[in-house]
Amino acid sequence: MDHDGCGGRYSDPVLDPKGARNSESPEEPLWRALAVFRLAALGYASLLVALNFRHYEHPAIGWFVTGVMATWSVVTITGYARPRLRAWPLLGADLAVTAACVVVSPWVLGPSGLSRGFATLPAAWIAGPVLAWAISGGRRRGAAAAVLLTICDQGLRGRITPNSLDGNVLMLLAGIAVGHVTRLAVRAQEALQRATELEAANRERERLARGIHDSVLQVLALVQRRGTEIGGDAAELGRLAGEQEAALRSLIGTASGHPASGDPSSGDRHRPVDLRPLLAAHATATVSLATPAHPVPLPAHAASEMAAAVGAALANVRQHCGPDARAWVLVESEDGVIGGGTVTVSVRDDGPGIPAGRLDEAAAAGRLGVAQSIRGRVRDLGGTVTITSAPGQGTEVELTIPYRSLS
Amino acid sequence: MTVRVMVVDDHPMWRDGVARDLDEAGYEVVAAVGEGGQAVRVAAAARPDVVVLDLQLPDLSGVEVIRGLLAAHPPVRVLMLSASGEQQDVLDAVKAGATGYLLKSAAREEFLDAVRRTADGDAVFTPGLAGLVLGEYRRLATAAQPADDAPRLTDRETEVLRLVAKGLSYKQIAERLVVSHRTVQNHVQNTLGKLQLHNRVELVRYAIERGLDTDS
Repeated sequence: MDHDGCGGRYSDPVLDPKGARNSESPEEPLWRALAVFRLAALGYASLLVALNFRHYEHPAIGWFVTGVMATWSVVTITGYARPRLRAWPLLGADLAVTAACVVVSPWVLGPSGLSRGFATLPAAWIAGPVLAWAISGGRRRGAAAAVLLTICDQGLRGRITPNSLDGNVLMLLAGIAVGHVTRLAVRAQEALQRATELEAANRERERLARGIHDSVLQVLALVQRRGTEIGGDAAELGRLAGEQEAALRSLIGTASGHPASGDPSSGDRHRPVDLRPLLAAHATATVSLATPAHPVPLPAHAASEMAAAVGAALANVRQHCGPDARAWVLVESEDGVIGGGTVTVSVRDDGPGIPAGRLDEAAAAGRLGVAQSIRGRVRDLGGTVTITSAPGQGTEVELTIPYRSLS
Repeated sequence: MTVRVMVVDDHPMWRDGVARDLDEAGYEVVAAVGEGGQAVRVAAAARPDVVVLDLQLPDLSGVEVIRGLLAAHPPVRVLMLSASGEQQDVLDAVKAGATGYLLKSAAREEFLDAVRRTADGDAVFTPGLAGLVLGEYRRLATAAQPADDAPRLTDRETEVLRLVAKGLSYKQIAERLVVSHRTVQNHVQNTLGKLQLHNRVELVRYAIERGLDTDS
């Protein structure tokens, strides 16, 4: 088996972990939203200045501060666009510049301006660094920025008014909320990426396992075949190889990747599980298993009872026909006309068969031990057991159980 | 006339062993190759009667190789060998046109017998393959719309396939159903033929729906 030839599948774009890493991080849209917010807030602040500058004590300085805000908006928008610059120097400067704009406001507006209830010069624009801190560092950092700016704002007004405090409280809430949402988004993204990487790794492992299994099976089959031909001790080796070959083949023939397959011992007993992997456990060098290629779903408890009944039937074969007797297991599922259907499992051996009449005789004498345990299990599932025997063609046990459509 | 056989298997030890067995049994091994693409290229010139094909090749899937072989040399018959018996792979290969399937662990006599029967035009079924084919007919019947032309088995064909799946030989089946050996063979072959025909019809229908037939 040439393993080198199949490496290409790892570059599957959906599953490539590198691709997932390159895709946009969940913070990006938030940084872009912040840029839009800054420009909108700048527009609002400028409008307030344009409407009110006549009442200011220092209107020229007011316009100058507006200019600083415009310049700083451009600086931060271009700065935060680069992930590398989203660090303390820029975050700190952002807060300092904004705080400076807030601090000069009372002086620009003059006592009359502030007392007439004008907002500070930057108005809503002061939320910019709060949101930047929140996006970069979560809700605590957002809250810290909000508190620092609130101190600057309220401390310089001299007295705290409920009106102006409302704005600060909203700013604090915004800082906490945005910080929280950012953390959640980042964590969700990380979880998704881990899951994607895990899935890619699993696929790869499965693919490698298939190749290795195939190689191992080839060698086991070869040993079995040549060993049997050579005879003697080699024949014994061949027989052992054959047993392992059958065990491994039954393990991988049905078990891989079917949605309805699963461990019947876990979870809800009505959860549908595929009957085939459960029966595959019984397949050996002497027991052949024939199933459909698609899953045969049964409620978990029915599937495990059915598998146990088949196991009992096979034990019966070994008991009556010897350990080397061959047996064949056939699984069929047939849909009925309305929703329901039947699942039939037949177990046939190539033993001498049971002479006519002996079966009833044995049943009457209560000597059908194992057969009774089969009947019991299947009857509990609402099914039927038919035992037939043709002279020279072995004995056949047919287990049929009804099921309601599981879809 | 000797039967011309081509062996396709990527496992050199296995390929040589099979070729030697065939040679000793009087078959003419016209080619032994390790890749599907190579097999398809060689088939037109080597004109084998039977291709013994490993289902797991490094370059092409079993279905691709079988389609390629049948296109390159239509009279060829394909006997699949597989070590792992991946069920869907086996079923797909049969639907694509393979007429026989054997596990690699089969004994030498069983294998040589399968090659002979494949060359004679018989379908070579393991019990496992019979189970897959039965399941596929039931799946098609369930999935089909009422007006659909999904292939169906006759009652007798179903009966024969079930007996094959339960490990009875053709001889035992003939005895049990009181028919000739040949009749049993024909029934088995019909089940395969209908499935392959349906598969070809589906492919053509798919091609027409996608407008692929207008491409020249």
